[in-house]
Amino acid sequence: MTGSILNLENVSYRYPDGTNALDSCSLTIRRGSRTAVLGPNGAGKTTMFLHLNGILRPSAGQLCREGIPLDYSRAGMRKLRSQVGLVFQNPDSQLFSASVREDVSFGPMNMGLEEAVVRKRVEEALLAVGMADSADRPVHNLSYGQKKRVCIAGVLAMQPEILVLDEPTAGLDASMQEELTAILDQLHTAGMTTIIATHDLDFAYGWADDVIVLQSGQLLAHGIPEEILLREDVRSALGATPLVADITRSLSLIGIDLRDNGYLPRSKNELLRAINAQTRLEHDQ
Amino acid sequence: MLTEQSAYTNRWRHVSPVAKGSFSLCGMVAAFAAGSPRTALLIALILAAASIIGAGIPPLRYLRVAAPPLLFLLASVLSLVVTLDSGASDGGISIHLAGPELPRIAQVSCRSLACLTALLFLALTTPLPDIISLLRRCKLPDTLLDLMTLCYRTLFVLSEAVHDTMTAQSARLGYATFTVSMRSLGGLVGNLAVQVWQRSLAYHIAAQARNNDGALRFLENSYTNSRQNISVAAAAGGVMIALTLVLP
Repeated sequence: MTGSILNLENVSYRYPDGTNALDSCSLTIRRGSRTAVLGPNGAGKTTMFLHLNGILRPSAGQLCREGIPLDYSRAGMRKLRSQVGLVFQNPDSQLFSASVREDVSFGPMNMGLEEAVVRKRVEEALLAVGMADSADRPVHNLSYGQKKRVCIAGVLAMQPEILVLDEPTAGLDASMQEELTAILDQLHTAGMTTIIATHDLDFAYGWADDVIVLQSGQLLAHGIPEEILLREDVRSALGATPLVADITRSLSLIGIDLRDNGYLPRSKNELLRAINAQTRLEHDQ
Repeated sequence: MLTEQSAYTNRWRHVSPVAKGSFSLCGMVAAFAAGSPRTALLIALILAAASIIGAGIPPLRYLRVAAPPLLFLLASVLSLVVTLDSGASDGGISIHLAGPELPRIAQVSCRSLACLTALLFLALTTPLPDIISLLRRCKLPDTLLDLMTLCYRTLFVLSEAVHDTMTAQSARLGYATFTVSMRSLGGLVGNLAVQVWQRSLAYHIAAQARNNDGALRFLENSYTNSRQNISVAAAAGGVMIALTLVLP
């Protein structure tokens, strides 16, 4: 999990109407890491994502992949877009095709792969997101959560090194969120670098290795979630702190230390486990 | 929606679109080759039977889908049979019934009916994506096919948007009176226009993100036994055409 895969160096972007969507952002994404990008609406998360895939080109500064500045030529873009997969927030604005299988095949077909290879990749991608049974269904008959999974499959079929997801958990019910987390865990184990924009602080706290906090187009903080998400300036920018962190801190104030070998619980399940362990310990004494 | 439903659920859904397409094409050729109205009617009957008995489309649904085009056919037949003439010497309007042309009119309308059933056969047994891929194999221009693909998909996206907006408007009494309804309808159309523009932009960006640089290419479905199916369909179509040659 060492080595940078993607760098932003003083990247700024100004929209044609004059809004400064990104203001000299510099950051590094580590290979194989899970990064959560947080920030209020309009902070520049989506604009940053459009840069990662080469859809937008910085007004100033530059992006580097493995230390080499991005090549904005046609061939360079073809390569970049097959390595950095971008999944947008609204599934209905990125699924064009009528049937699930067709839509997933769109990216690999654009890459000019042979039909047999495309067919194999499509089946694998649908299997990875648990949609293999729905391959022949028309897209408009799917539920919202299923459409989101098809969008992810459409990008996975291109076999990118980096997966970029814009608010994948928005609008999903609890069980669908759990399924999505399972898919993300699987991809992480397989070595995929994942970047996710989200408003879900608790999800970010439990899932991410790194967090990036944006505010008005500027990089407010970047680092490990236990440090960054508890900072006062980050709290006021995001309007909250992760619930698990709040509870852990409150408990430590009344003398209950949930630290396990220096590791603090980060998700609901870890918190419950730590509290149970603590209760057992007191019971034994 | 009814056509859509049948295309995805009929018994011949997984038969190669080439087979269904060639059968339908043979049906149309037979319709034109039919020498008498009776033969054309027979062809129409065969095609309708293939859809209802062969592909298992419920007869009632078949009739409901066929009703609008049949109505158009009826209207055009009536306009051929009945002629209004205002140029009479006494200045009045007279109605003429076509007498000597009747056999020709019968021929034309029965032929249209046979063509209609041939097209209905294809539309009711084959989902549009399959028809598009069939047309792509027939070397139709990419631009036309891309438009068909996008129209088909956006049809559902926009109908959902219309439904959502109308529900939201009704929830705030947007269709309570006639005047208010008109205003709401205007709002709906305006809102939809903006949505169409925004969505087209989003589609463009999403296509770029997946490496698109022009034509929309998708994987085509593969069909088992397609060679066998095509032979059977071509043979059945051949029989139809042969019938028109044998019968008067």
